[in-house]
Amino acid sequence: MQLQLQQVLPVYFDEDHRTQSEVWRRNLTFEKGEYIKIVAPSGSGKTSLMHFLYGMRNEYNGNIVYNSANLRNYTPEDFAGYRKDHVSIVFQDLRLFPEQTVQENIELKRQLNPFHPAEKIREMAERLGIGNKLASKSRICSYGEQQRVAIIRSLMQPFDFLLLDEPFSHLDDKNSQNAMQLMLEEAKLRNAAIIFADLERIDWFPYTRIFHL
Amino acid sequence: MAVSFKPIRSLLQTGTNTSSRWFSYIGLGIGVLLLLCSIQMYINIQQLLGGESQRKDGSDFISISKTITNETMGLLEKNLFNANDIKDIETKPFIEGVSPLTANRFRVQLSAGDIIPFSTDMFLESLDNNFIDTVPPNFAWQEGQNYIPIVFSSDFLEIYNVFAPGYGLPQLSAETASQVVVFITCYGQNGEKQTFRGSIVALSDRVNSIIVPKNFLDWANNKFGNTTDVKASRLYIKTKDANNPDFLNYLQQKNYKVNKDKTKFGRVKQVLQGIFSGLGIFGLLVVILALMLFSFYLQLMIARSKDNLQLLLMMGYSPNWLSKNVSKQFIPVYVLVVLVALALTEGMQWAFHHFAMFDRPELSSLLHWAVMGTAVFLIGLSLLTNYRMVKKLLYKLV
Repeated sequence: MQLQLQQVLPVYFDEDHRTQSEVWRRNLTFEKGEYIKIVAPSGSGKTSLMHFLYGMRNEYNGNIVYNSANLRNYTPEDFAGYRKDHVSIVFQDLRLFPEQTVQENIELKRQLNPFHPAEKIREMAERLGIGNKLASKSRICSYGEQQRVAIIRSLMQPFDFLLLDEPFSHLDDKNSQNAMQLMLEEAKLRNAAIIFADLERIDWFPYTRIFHL
Repeated sequence: MAVSFKPIRSLLQTGTNTSSRWFSYIGLGIGVLLLLCSIQMYINIQQLLGGESQRKDGSDFISISKTITNETMGLLEKNLFNANDIKDIETKPFIEGVSPLTANRFRVQLSAGDIIPFSTDMFLESLDNNFIDTVPPNFAWQEGQNYIPIVFSSDFLEIYNVFAPGYGLPQLSAETASQVVVFITCYGQNGEKQTFRGSIVALSDRVNSIIVPKNFLDWANNKFGNTTDVKASRLYIKTKDANNPDFLNYLQQKNYKVNKDKTKFGRVKQVLQGIFSGLGIFGLLVVILALMLFSFYLQLMIARSKDNLQLLLMMGYSPNWLSKNVSKQFIPVYVLVVLVALALTEGMQWAFHHFAMFDRPELSSLLHWAVMGTAVFLIGLSLLTNYRMVKKLLYKLV
């Protein structure tokens, strides 16, 4: 299971980025089990990269290849399978269903390809301190709470790669470490890789490789 | 995929305007009802009027002639059928056979001899034996034979019996008529004349004429009328159904004259079928309009739920699975709408059969299978169009 970046550069970026960046316009291969840290200041294309890897956008030059299949050749059905079975994500902007409860938001992901039984939702929610929010509509939860919902949601499915796009922006250190610990455990269970993009270095992520975007 | 659609349903019901959905259901119902009723009535007409014209031997025999107008008056060529006309008629699929009715082209006088003091100028015609309903074995003539067998129209005998008393002539029964020997005198153009004996060998209900064997008339036309090329003024046509609209259209288009009474049902059928075809087309248009309205409703629904649907697709929901399930939501309503229309059509058919047609055996109180088939087809069609449209819209969101 490999995720490869081949000379990828967003079409809306100047070619200067290639000299400054350790990711854009490079050939990189991410393997299962790796912990990749991507340090990216604002405007360096962190979210773009995450969206490209997740197959949501394709405004880039170069290729992204998953298991020797180019994402550009994926059909809408292929993408559904890719996101359901192989790659999970925590969006920077979370993307929860505002009118659904926390429980429902997580369950919508879990039922698609259950890695855990339904009881696991409560267990994880309690571990991250939002056990009492399960029945609340997600739009009335605070941003920090919503961030934890998005994290739990991403852990409900099997995956080879877990993409994290500033997952702790609204969490204090204690909560962040707590959530990080959970994600590391879950990645280990699947022998999966984590690709963690954030503004700056975070000490509690035991990365195996680091790139500056 | 054992994924449940239940939690997703609430993501699509973004509240608001359900009236357009109900309008489209009602429109669909009305359209389907119109369409089904039209098909059923069309079939009813077919069964009612199609059955009427079936003869025992399976065919209709009718004579046609060219309509004589002020323009063609006196132009013999234009009022007679030529070989091309006959050939053209023969090629039509609804025609089983054509035979020209050839008339005499010389003066013929008929007298009843001494027994009945009656004498009149007459006409003779000949026709293929196949087209005459009653042909006895002695209906034949050979050159040199002085006796001519005649097939006489029963209508003419009736007419004779009407006026006979007024002229002091005896009325004749069918049996007696065939025993009366008549004298047929043919006059040539150069003053020559020849008298033949004749008798009625059969009465015909079908042919309104005085028919003599064809070879006799051909011979006599040649001898007394100095012509071998005798064009027919009337054609006898054998057809499966004289009320066939195609046949009637053909006659109308060619400006051929036909006994109106024989084709009366056909004309009524033509008009009624026209009306119900029109209604059916209207119904179909309403169905199409309703489906369009519904597709607008669906588009609106998808546009309103765009964020939610996009998020579902982003989470890994299959667009194909989503399209199937979104369109599946409407199966019960569609089936219900079509079933209600079908039930109303059945009610209409029952009432029509029972109250308007007094349970005539040609019709059934139940719906024709074609109507049921159309109903099933319409359900399938609406679901398929919905599925395709939803799928197209969802693929755009991926």
